[in-house]
Amino acid sequence: MEMEIPGDLGPWVVDAVRPDNMRLLAQALADPNPIHLDRDAVRQLGLGDRLINQGPANFAYVLNMLRDAVPGAEIRGLRVRLLSNVFEGERVEAAGKVVSVDEDGDERRVECQVWLDAEGGRRAIEGTATLVSAPG
Amino acid sequence: MSTAALGHLVGYRLPEGTFTITEHDNRLLSEAVETAAPDDGVAHPAFAYVATQRGVGIGIDEVFRLAECPMDDGPMLGSTDLEFAEPLRIGVAYRVRGEIVDIRRKQGARIGTFDVLTIQEELVDERDVAVAVIRNEFILPRRQD
Repeated sequence: MEMEIPGDLGPWVVDAVRPDNMRLLAQALADPNPIHLDRDAVRQLGLGDRLINQGPANFAYVLNMLRDAVPGAEIRGLRVRLLSNVFEGERVEAAGKVVSVDEDGDERRVECQVWLDAEGGRRAIEGTATLVSAPG
Repeated sequence: MSTAALGHLVGYRLPEGTFTITEHDNRLLSEAVETAAPDDGVAHPAFAYVATQRGVGIGIDEVFRLAECPMDDGPMLGSTDLEFAEPLRIGVAYRVRGEIVDIRRKQGARIGTFDVLTIQEELVDERDVAVAVIRNEFILPRRQD
């Protein structure tokens, strides 16, 4: 079955980043960094007064977006820069666009630009991704 | 303390370890990042980060301590580069190996002096194939410098 590759990817949305999910991820990562768990620690570092979402959660949202946008394709690469923090309670939106599709023997290679925007359009992540699927 | 003082860390091989992604781990991570865990034996691709961090034989807090940046100083992930040869699978005992590949002093308008610590790690399966390679750059604030 031919897999359709959309030009625009996403958006994939989290309406409000939740502190309880930061605690879950801290447990999954075995990462005791207090900026994800303790608002006083965030204040003491001069980083605001809201908990800061883990960077891996932010790029995981981009991975979720890719999996939803092109189900059945394999993610072969993700290269992202984390440009700004995402805070508890913020709405975030992961999206992307396809920049090239190349047939290479028995696979189709899809290169994409990807990003994650937080409130006010503040860009939290940007980068590129590579997907591979069966040829069209 | 300067980057030169920490230059000896470049080339430091992190102690090897192993990590097996369980169905419970996969559900926990998927819930934490607001998605469903499909029942097809494939783990969430963010496990390239999680499994290397948890599986390598030294905690990330200890790695930061080696770089003289305790957790209370607020080290943060600055960039990630993930490459997969194939999807990560639940139940596979991956060997985890890694190395500090760079540490570089920089200045930023917002956070002042900081170091960029670059660590590369791999998940290696039972065929000795590196199925995932991850290169992370961590921002280590140097507020007192």
